[in-house]
Amino acid sequence: MAETRGGRPIGSSQRPTGGDKAIVSNKRQFFRRRKVCKFCVDKIDQIDYKDVKLLSMFLSERGKIIPRRLSGVCTPCQRRLSEAIKQARNIALLPFATRAVTTAGNLG
Amino acid sequence: MRIYEELFIIRPDANEEEVEAIGGQLTAAISATGGAVDKIEKWGVRKLAYRLQKKNEGYYVLIQFQGGAETVKELERRLRVNDAVMKFLTVRIDEKLKWLERRRKAREKRAAKKPQAPAAPALPAQEAAPVPGAPAGREE
Repeated sequence: MAETRGGRPIGSSQRPTGGDKAIVSNKRQFFRRRKVCKFCVDKIDQIDYKDVKLLSMFLSERGKIIPRRLSGVCTPCQRRLSEAIKQARNIALLPFATRAVTTAGNLG
Repeated sequence: MRIYEELFIIRPDANEEEVEAIGGQLTAAISATGGAVDKIEKWGVRKLAYRLQKKNEGYYVLIQFQGGAETVKELERRLRVNDAVMKFLTVRIDEKLKWLERRRKAREKRAAKKPQAPAAPALPAQEAAPVPGAPAGREE
């Protein structure tokens, strides 16, 4: 965090998870969008395990489920989402884990 | 009677007739145990997310049916016995469908209610939006 003024740590009101307006007024360098639950905003009721396109938006590159604190999905939606992802994994629609595509070559 | 969804993967090297035969067998099994098939969807050959029995692809078939516990038991037994079937997943969806229906109705109700009340203050709210530091206008 480079924006501590006079060695004072950033207060909770200035954290990046706050509203976008607060960030602008604090002259933050990176504009961070306020996180909202995609399912609530787009009014998606059905989080279906067959909808690979939708579910894969909430997977990391390695195939892990993205936590709520990063994706902004609300608690009830995240619960249904993770359920659906796990069902999709079971029937090989989504990966349990994917190998890292680096030249470092971990994971054998 | 419950509504289920059965999604299963047939080996990609199976030809169309074999797929058809499996579908026919399962349909017969469902109706023999007092169930009824609602729909059969053939997704065709798809890439698998991970290797399964040394194969990277699979033929996906989705069956939606009604039935009780015996129907599911018999269906799963048949899928397990069949060598061409690589993997299957049974999901009970009647409660999910009910829940969705409830949600949809609630949403419609809200939508029907909405246009009368906030129609007038909609314009001033838009004007107020670009003003920085106005948290009151952020949420309804």
